[in-house]
Amino acid sequence: MKKEIVLSGVGGQGVVSVGEVMGLAASLYEEGLNATMSASYGSEARGTFTKTDVIISDGAIGYPNIESPDIILCLAQVAYDRYVDAFRDDTLVFYDNEEVTPREGAKGEHIGFPYRSEAIKLGSIQSANFVALGTMSKKTGLLKPEGCMKAIADRFAGKKKVIESNQKALQRGLEL
Amino acid sequence: MGKTVKKFMEGNDAMVAGAIAAGARFFAGYPISPSSEVAKGAAKELPRHGGIYIQMEDELSSMAALCGASLAGKKAFTATSGPGFSLMQENLGLAVMSELPCVVYDVQRSGPSTGAATKPAQGDLMQAKYGTHGDHSIIALAPSSVQDCYDLSITAFNLAEKYRTPVIFLADEVIGHLRATVSIREPEPGEIINRKAPAPGTTQKDFRPYDYSGNMPAPMVGVGDRNLLMRTTGSTHDEKGEFRPTPENIDRVTHYLMSKIEDHVDDITITREYKMEDADTVLISFGCSVRSSMSAVDLLRKEGVKAGMLELVTVWPMPEKQIRKALQQAKNVVVVELNMGQLAGEVRKYNDYGCNVIQANRTDGVLITPKQVVDALKGGMK
Amino acid sequence: MKSYKDYMLFDKLPQTWCAGCSHGIVLQSIAAVMAELDVDKHDMALVSGIGCFGRVDDYLDINCMHVTHGRALAAATGVALGNPNLHVLCTMGDGDGTTIGGNHLIHAARRNINVTAIISNNYNYGQTGGQYSATTPTHSITQTSPYGHIEDNFDICKLAIAAGASYVGRATAYNPVMIRKLIKEGMQVKGFSLIEVMSACPTHYGKFNKLGEAARMLKLMNEQSVTVAQAAKMSPEELKGKLVVGVLKNEPRDDYYTEYARIIEAQRIE
Repeated sequence: MKKEIVLSGVGGQGVVSVGEVMGLAASLYEEGLNATMSASYGSEARGTFTKTDVIISDGAIGYPNIESPDIILCLAQVAYDRYVDAFRDDTLVFYDNEEVTPREGAKGEHIGFPYRSEAIKLGSIQSANFVALGTMSKKTGLLKPEGCMKAIADRFAGKKKVIESNQKALQRGLEL
Repeated sequence: MGKTVKKFMEGNDAMVAGAIAAGARFFAGYPISPSSEVAKGAAKELPRHGGIYIQMEDELSSMAALCGASLAGKKAFTATSGPGFSLMQENLGLAVMSELPCVVYDVQRSGPSTGAATKPAQGDLMQAKYGTHGDHSIIALAPSSVQDCYDLSITAFNLAEKYRTPVIFLADEVIGHLRATVSIREPEPGEIINRKAPAPGTTQKDFRPYDYSGNMPAPMVGVGDRNLLMRTTGSTHDEKGEFRPTPENIDRVTHYLMSKIEDHVDDITITREYKMEDADTVLISFGCSVRSSMSAVDLLRKEGVKAGMLELVTVWPMPEKQIRKALQQAKNVVVVELNMGQLAGEVRKYNDYGCNVIQANRTDGVLITPKQVVDALKGGMK
Repeated sequence: MKSYKDYMLFDKLPQTWCAGCSHGIVLQSIAAVMAELDVDKHDMALVSGIGCFGRVDDYLDINCMHVTHGRALAAATGVALGNPNLHVLCTMGDGDGTTIGGNHLIHAARRNINVTAIISNNYNYGQTGGQYSATTPTHSITQTSPYGHIEDNFDICKLAIAAGASYVGRATAYNPVMIRKLIKEGMQVKGFSLIEVMSACPTHYGKFNKLGEAARMLKLMNEQSVTVAQAAKMSPEELKGKLVVGVLKNEPRDDYYTEYARIIEAQRIE
């Protein structure tokens, strides 16, 4: 098993944090899984395109960058447009259906949710990323929800409020 | 077995964890991308283990401070990149000549000069060995995974202590910033090598901090030892550490500095093989390029090409035996690296077998892709 | 009672320095202070750089580290932090200590590293034939300022004071009693201390500037000397060309290691 996951959006949407949580969940709370994550450095200013590549595998991981994703999360139009040509027929495309307009005829199975609106409803616009993780976890079964919950606690250790709001967002995503 | 914990961590952080596990308790450095996380980690972690972090005014002084702390008995390290590594060459030579063990982490980036500051490259391969002036040999290890950043750090300090030499940890931006699943295993006390001390009861009259009679370093004491005084110098010196610029002594010291590393190449060499058993096409690589090469082997195997990979973990001294074996075994060898062919030149030196040596290079500040490796092979294949 | 001889290596004599060179006076003073303080040799570390005065380690029977040109204070920083129980001396010339190594000097002073720096200032690079350094007086002649030196020179002590040294003193090679007093006090200060010794280089600087033989050069620097108390009553105009000697600053504060040890104390888990 090997899954190549691209998390994309604009700076400030927290795609790197989600990547770290996925990496932690795979490494610490799954049996026999390895993960790598390579973030795009130098372009993490707020508002500009940013992405991170996460690979989860039960074997060794070689080349750590992703050219054609198995799963992709697009939280912003600019991110979607950047990747749409790399979609395959079996690519799972998770996207914010209020922020991103899919291209007609694009490859891939498109799965849209109003991540940003859901996060606002929960009282934390910052946690749209974890609502998205919840939907990806539910749809793909790749990472156990309990593992993701624990990984959020690990990643944000010492920041009780952040942990609570991100776990709440993850839970919301699992329910969508 | 030591205690093992699984972590998901960044390469630069794993280097700090490995250094501390190896017993390192002193860091002197100057911040520079993409190695700054090593400084950040050292500043946070060292005092927790009773160690000291100091941020110096530049890389010249960082390397000098490493030499001083090493002489005072500490296992010492620094981390740098490109321009900083260039500045460190001066006192890297001092560490070589004075035989002061230490580890220099070079998280390579593109150059020359400021270059593309945060972009990966592997252009320091030659500098690691030939950057400081004068004849000498050196040990350099190249990690290709975050796990290596931890495990090889322990190896690096062990080799530094055993051979009383600086060891270059030749990492790169890809590995330094990669996050991955790692097993952090506390080493057993027996796995940690410390510099050899003089036999108990050694008197000052008999103490020789240097030994040029063979190919292994003399025992040393840290400055402050209760019984023995220590004397070191960057000038050509005799067994007592006293300046002696006679032709015989200069020649003897130069030969010794080569042979103390080159005579132990089998002990120092670490290489890894991937699908090499029946390979007639061999990729030779080091550091981050290993990851692309490994995936390229898988692509080639799918196409029916009998491909394999030789990974050079030890890059200095150059693993001549293993490279020769690959050249003998293969019809085509592809040398994969993020520079214009620094390793390829070394591989060609050993090609007495008529093997077709192809270069797969990428120098635009981006990790070479597996497909580019495959294309380089197809383009150069005979 | 120990003598300076107990800290010296006599089999290395005669010393390498030219006849009339002041460096030997500073060497003897260092050894004499160690004897006065009755320090255990094993607690003494001397770090020296490159230059005529850098060779001072050849004659001392203590722990010695001879490093690259200009980097003595940086290496001494590593020694002092690597083993905080040591007395670390750092011997440099004006080229080593203030020109190529000037940056390390101000930062060692600012950080208040527990090191006693002794700079023997003879206004030029003696070992390479008498070129100008950062302390060469304006208008004077050196091998590389044959038409007169056009740069302004550093006042080493003022530099160290401004950078934050705990203890700063100056003496001339004419007055070894004062040299010993200053080195002794400097060694007893925990933190960065700097002692500048005005030295004569009759072979190069003296010859280029027609200052006469060594004895005359020493006499001249004594004539230029004014004590701190005398200087306090003099105008800037009157102080021109004078050498203010004695203790110029004595304001000890916690050194780098003492401060860092508090962090270790608070954060330690092993």
